[in-house]
Amino acid sequence: MFIDIHVHPAFFEPINGDLAREELRHRELDIHKNGTAPLEHIFNQMACAGLDKLCLLPQDYTSTVGCALVDNEEIRRLVDLAPDRFIGFAGVDPADPVAPDRLEDAFSRLKLKGLKLHPGRQHFMPGDPRLEPIYQICERFDKPVLFHAGLSWEPDTFTQYCRPDAFEPVAAAHPGLRICLGHFGWPWVREAAMLMVKYPNVYADTGALYFDCAREFYAQTFTKDIPLTWIDRSLRHQVMFGSNNPRFEQIRMAQALGELGFRDSTLELIRGENAIAFLGGLD
Amino acid sequence: MFVKTIRILTKRYNEFDVITPQVEEIAAQSGIQNGLVTVLTKHTTTGITVNEALECLESDIETALSLFAPEDRPYSHARMLRDYGSTAGNPTGHLKALVTGNHCHFPLQDGKLVRGGAQDVYFCEFDGPAQRSILVIVEGSGQP
Repeated sequence: MFIDIHVHPAFFEPINGDLAREELRHRELDIHKNGTAPLEHIFNQMACAGLDKLCLLPQDYTSTVGCALVDNEEIRRLVDLAPDRFIGFAGVDPADPVAPDRLEDAFSRLKLKGLKLHPGRQHFMPGDPRLEPIYQICERFDKPVLFHAGLSWEPDTFTQYCRPDAFEPVAAAHPGLRICLGHFGWPWVREAAMLMVKYPNVYADTGALYFDCAREFYAQTFTKDIPLTWIDRSLRHQVMFGSNNPRFEQIRMAQALGELGFRDSTLELIRGENAIAFLGGLD
Repeated sequence: MFVKTIRILTKRYNEFDVITPQVEEIAAQSGIQNGLVTVLTKHTTTGITVNEALECLESDIETALSLFAPEDRPYSHARMLRDYGSTAGNPTGHLKALVTGNHCHFPLQDGKLVRGGAQDVYFCEFDGPAQRSILVIVEGSGQP
């Protein structure tokens, strides 16, 4: 089982068609010239990367953009088109007063499998008390939270909200809540590793490719910035493959992961088993 | 001038697709009897080339292009592109496209492509899977 835990479906064809909305997505995500992708193309990409499932992440920026760029209903619609391949996450904007209600609805009615939050774009510190009701809902439903962490290429983002150590209050106060630092918190990968070795409920995904090619960047990040042994020996149950597609190179990242030199058993964990544990199972 | 687009969803990273039948069909649809047919890819990591449609040659061509532009070289193009907001991981595709070129021409005589017995038109994918568009342009007169 090979799972990509970090995919943004903003340009999947079934949820596009309204040109104004498509243009809004290009502008607000700062992703251009990529067109929209029919599901057959997505499946072709998955086959080339060897992927079995994708986690689809919404982007709710209601308080700053005026709407969700990809909302929970759209995620549900995509999952229903390929339930054997897609896993849907919920999104809420913590600044929206109805965020807790929306999250309850996303978990109970839409049956979404986790929550995606972007502190840098949504302008909140992860330990802000106003997030407590949201974290408590996730704990009650036993759903994980995948946070954007580290650098974000999106406009109107502030990195101060996304340093890995900003997530420590959440990890400490909610030991039963599984949280993931997206993008391995790059460039603070050591800081991310620090949190992970201290808190077993902290995961990280590999969705980072900000310089060079996938093979070069993964080698720099996972064999030099931190030694390969840190993951292979100590963090092997907390790292998940994520590509951040379409911004980054899903196929080449999947290939580069396999060339880093991990033990086969570690690769199996990173490719799928850890994601299944993070999600609380695939049902 | 008569222009139509062939659309292809490629399935592999590198692949070679014979598109001669589609090109001939579009030439016939044009109604033009004598002139020139141009086949032009709209992308910069794909190619159009003419060769004999044999599996063995496709394999040899792919190998030769891989030697010319191996995946593990440190390419300058491997970087974030601000205009795209995404990473450019496809330098080898651009370089392979440089070798094949992006178009080919055939004369059109009495409504038919004039081509050698071993000549087929290939669309070459060098950065797939992807959605691709190929223009077929027929120019000339309708009179025999």
